[in-house]
Amino acid sequence: MKISVQQYATSLFEAVVGKSEKEAKAAVKNFVAILGRNRELSKEAAIIAAFNETWNREHGEVMATLSSARELGPTARENVVEYLKEKTAAKKIILDENIDKDLIGGFVLRYGSKVLDGSLKNSLEALKNKISN
Amino acid sequence: MSTTKDFIVEQLKEEISGFKAEVSEKSVGKVLKVSDGIALVSGLAEAMMSEILIFKTETAEVTGVALNLEESQVGAIILGDYTAIKEGDEVIATKRILEVPVGENMIGRVVNPLGEPMDGKGKIETTKFYPIEKIAPGVITRASVKEPVQTGIKAIDAMIPIGRGQRELIIGDRQLGKTALAIDTIINQKGQNMKCVYVAIGQKESKIANIVTKLTEAGAMDYTTIVLAGASTSASLIYIAPYAGCAMAEYFLDKGEDVLIIYDDLSKHAVSYREISLLLRRPPGREAYPGDVFYLHSRLLERACKLNKDFGGGSITALPIIETQAGDLSAYIPTNVISITDGQIFLEPDLFYKGNRPAVNAGLSVSRVGSSAQIKAMKKVAGKMRLEAAQYRELAAFTQFGSDLDADTMKKLERGKRLYEIFKQDQYQPLSVAKQVAAYYALINGFMDNVPVEKIREFEAGLYKYADLNDAVLKAIETKKELDIEVEALLKKLIDDYKATVDYLIK
Repeated sequence: MKISVQQYATSLFEAVVGKSEKEAKAAVKNFVAILGRNRELSKEAAIIAAFNETWNREHGEVMATLSSARELGPTARENVVEYLKEKTAAKKIILDENIDKDLIGGFVLRYGSKVLDGSLKNSLEALKNKISN
Repeated sequence: MSTTKDFIVEQLKEEISGFKAEVSEKSVGKVLKVSDGIALVSGLAEAMMSEILIFKTETAEVTGVALNLEESQVGAIILGDYTAIKEGDEVIATKRILEVPVGENMIGRVVNPLGEPMDGKGKIETTKFYPIEKIAPGVITRASVKEPVQTGIKAIDAMIPIGRGQRELIIGDRQLGKTALAIDTIINQKGQNMKCVYVAIGQKESKIANIVTKLTEAGAMDYTTIVLAGASTSASLIYIAPYAGCAMAEYFLDKGEDVLIIYDDLSKHAVSYREISLLLRRPPGREAYPGDVFYLHSRLLERACKLNKDFGGGSITALPIIETQAGDLSAYIPTNVISITDGQIFLEPDLFYKGNRPAVNAGLSVSRVGSSAQIKAMKKVAGKMRLEAAQYRELAAFTQFGSDLDADTMKKLERGKRLYEIFKQDQYQPLSVAKQVAAYYALINGFMDNVPVEKIREFEAGLYKYADLNDAVLKAIETKKELDIEVEALLKKLIDDYKATVDYLIK
């Protein structure tokens, strides 16, 4: 039977969770050996991504990207983190911030398959659509 | 000039000050793959079945519908121009199930399966939307079928009566007049308190143009909507066409009105669904159709119904059409649809080429609702007609070789010949039920026995004309809906009087 990427990621997670560093290292080595034997080393990138997702889900961590026109102040950032915690019931938020001048103002928050678009660019586009209709 | 300018500026200011940017969370995915009207989209974890998806391309927004919900991706059909969509484009879930505009203004129009006008007569103003997929009315809301749909076709109204709320399949090879039956039925609904929806599924647009012209000429577009998914339309639009048509019909059903809907034809619909399913990599089954092709048609035809008084008393009568290949009734789709519907009208090439048009095969055609959907007068004259017609054909085939026949068989054969002459009817000439009753009455009571077979049609046409001149009898049949002694006497006298005027009777 073919083993899916998700199955690889889940089994790797189960093999290393709660183990000491030494044990984990051995598990990973084993895992790579199995991958090699199954000739699935080319799926490495996908497996790592799936493993990341599994790890975050199991540990109640949520990854989010925050693009803003200018750098956010500490209160604004705190608000965003609070908002995410409330929405996703996560314990920890990993925020990846970047500056995007194209947005003109405001910010865009992405997590999972959700997007919260509070940018000025988006508002202007909506206004354009409304007037042209 | 300046007032207009000021006015415009003022308007603009008003618009802008009234505009409030709304920030709301959206479910967004990315296109992984596009091919032949199908897209695979990642993300969209909360997408619903048949939810509308918006594909944001560089040039425009394209609509799609989620059809496959998988663990980490969503398979969608694209309803617009799929060549504009590129890998990596953003896809937004709208949280709305696919719906079409419905309303009175759809009547008289030709629209595509999304309810957009196709006839160049401008925008259609509607306020209501109906979802294209709806669970069919349940048992408690239904009533039994007992009011007739007058198709205006003699052979059908007598032998295979169709009731309001029934599903009657029209099946036969190509070019045998399946669509003609349906169009004649629409034309005959004038003044019968019936709305009509004609759904063209994968049909040639030239054929549809013809139909629209004919219907307009006959004044039938005053109560008819045409949903057009032409042969050049993408499989995804063809797939939703019958459901969209049904949603438009359901609007009138909910208002307590009677609707007739024609699906022309469901074999092309099944082929489109097969295309979509194979592209979505669903496993193929018999004839490469997916496993749920039965449900595809059963859920559509189950929406035809007769509601009881408490639920408005409306009805949807469905006339699906199936095209067979070389008369093969046992192919997958024909057997499926035959088993779903309440009977079928089978058109036969032999009859057609012999000149018996409409070529309705009396033996294989049935209506499971039967005579409860006939007016009493018709019941009386057409009671055993189907049996007689079927018996005649067997007898005729059997006696082809022999010459010595007893008087009884001869009589049966002569009667049968005349019966088949009566069944002949030209296209676009539906006949009122009263005239049909008069013709059948004349036949079964032996008034036509001394009319030569080749003169029967002439005799019949003359009878209608004569009856129109003295229309008291026809009016009596139409209002009383039954042949009591009084009406019968009138009818007898009318036929006798008419017979006295013709000169070709056998002495």
